Amino acid sequence: MHVIVATDGSKQSLAAAKHLKSFADPTKITEISVVAVVRPLASVAFADDLSEGRLDGSFRDAARSAVDTIAGVFEGWGPKVSKRIRSGSAANEIIKAAKQYDAGLVVVAAGGRGLSDSVLVGSTAQRVQHYAPCPVLVVRPAPRKKK
Amino acid sequence: MADSATIPRPDEDDSDLKRSITGKLLFFYTLGDVLGSGIYVLIGLVAAAVGGAFWIAFALGVTVAAITGAAYAELVTKYPQAAGASLYVNKAFGSRPLTFLITVAFLSASMAASGSLAVGFASYFSEVWSAPPALLVSLVFIALLVVVNFIGITESVWMNMLMTFVEVAGLAIVLVIGIVYVAQGNADFGVLAQIETGGDYSSPALAVLAGIAFSFFAMTGFENTANVAEETIEPYKAFPRSLVGGMMVAGLVYVLVSMAAALTVPVETLAESDAALLEVVKAGILPFSTDLMTMLFSVIALIAITNTTLVTIVTQPRVLYGMAREDVVPGVFAKIHPVRRSPWVGLLFSGFVVGSLLVIGTLVTEAGGGIDLVGRLATVTVVLLLAIYALVIVACLRLRGRDEHDRIFHASTPLLFVGLVGNLAILGFTVYDDPYSLVWCAGLLGVGLVLFLAEYFFGDKGTGSRAPDLDAATAAGSSTRED
Repeated sequence: MHVIVATDGSKQSLAAAKHLKSFADPTKITEISVVAVVRPLASVAFADDLSEGRLDGSFRDAARSAVDTIAGVFEGWGPKVSKRIRSGSAANEIIKAAKQYDAGLVVVAAGGRGLSDSVLVGSTAQRVQHYAPCPVLVVRPAPRKKK
Repeated sequence: MADSATIPRPDEDDSDLKRSITGKLLFFYTLGDVLGSGIYVLIGLVAAAVGGAFWIAFALGVTVAAITGAAYAELVTKYPQAAGASLYVNKAFGSRPLTFLITVAFLSASMAASGSLAVGFASYFSEVWSAPPALLVSLVFIALLVVVNFIGITESVWMNMLMTFVEVAGLAIVLVIGIVYVAQGNADFGVLAQIETGGDYSSPALAVLAGIAFSFFAMTGFENTANVAEETIEPYKAFPRSLVGGMMVAGLVYVLVSMAAALTVPVETLAESDAALLEVVKAGILPFSTDLMTMLFSVIALIAITNTTLVTIVTQPRVLYGMAREDVVPGVFAKIHPVRRSPWVGLLFSGFVVGSLLVIGTLVTEAGGGIDLVGRLATVTVVLLLAIYALVIVACLRLRGRDEHDRIFHASTPLLFVGLVGNLAILGFTVYDDPYSLVWCAGLLGVGLVLFLAEYFFGDKGTGSRAPDLDAATAAGSSTRED
């Protein structure tokens, strides 16, 4: 099975990757594609919260380093890992990649807790869930613990 | 595994690195960005300065801008990154204070442009619905664009193309009116050679120079195409063609539209109007109801202005984000919203500064400051951008022989010198004509300085470059849902 692990450079996407690794059987997975999508017309085309280093005007470099970090999670785990950077609208590109690679599972992070996620419709995770050609694993952040 | 639509590139060997901006999209991005800024807003001012021959001002202005565009095309193909002028100046001079100054100047120019466009938006809006006060309309307009940008609707390239088509359609209406008028045999072509010398400017050359200075706002916007440099397929081919080509098409449209406007409407009427191109439509030359045409044209103008303003509102938080990652402004500007992946602090800040410009400008106007807010903010934009353009051309010349390879586009050196002189001449005149615009420029640059000092004295050193705590992320992924 080909698994797509999407990253938007957020820590939550790293948590999603680690979550997949925590329960999935590496012998059932043939290949993992780590996909990052650069959004050329967005204010910040790609924000990498996963690695140190400055933005030298290259959002591609930011995407590359986020993909490297996520790919690092699966190093030595078994399946072949490929790194892919695409360009365009995040949800569209993830869905296109899933079709193109004939993926068996897409792993995405949903960043929001509570209000912001339910009020702001059309987030990437929601669109991927609705239109992906295969099962989707949406990794949500844990609810805040009550003190 | 390769996408059939993607052209393989030598640096895309191990992983498929796909780019999404084609040459065609880049052309429309340039055209839309340039056409929306100004012609709808400023044509009256230009007509007032020059007289019937104001098309000459547009022709000369766009020539200087297109040469500057060629310098940008050379630098973009040499350094295909999203940072624009700051990057080129940094590469050419390696001076951090100068780079900071240019970055802040660019940010300020972009904010003043948003303000000018918002006031222009309000002028056309009053033709559709005149009840709400102009200040309120422009503030709501900016607030809406901030929200739209936060949500990310602006990211659709097709939306961008559609808006550009609408923009061109609006100007095509003006052209058709001009052609019909000429065909009816009513046109007096003598007006096209008429240069006003009885007014503020004594010599024809000075009147034309004034016109160029006023019209130059309509030429700006092309520098924002550097935003998408990294994501452009075959940038070496696409940039020179689409950027310079887009400028030339925009120039041609401007000249034809100016001629059509001058032929069909008395120059005095154009000069007095807040929404001058609307006067052409109102002249009632086409056999349609004038009310309907006015409404249609106003809506088209509103869309055109929105398109260009959106690009400025997208650019400002991006610049702030880059500076925050460089540790020259407070780190909050690098904050990204967890769901939307938008730089929400930078966006709010941009909206706030533009809103303040509008409020201050309106107060000054009402207190009898005797300024025309659209014109003043446009002048501020032009002053800052002309200085940047001149410096970019110098940077382009200075970087000759460095980082060269076969595929880089080279702008003609003599033309670059012409462009440099042109930019400086327009800059000199603008400052001479409206020295108070410098106060506004200084005010905006001061905002940048305040941000720098805030970071310098209170900032957390290394906001941009600190290694994130990645273990915290593992704990967060404990609750999951599967579809």
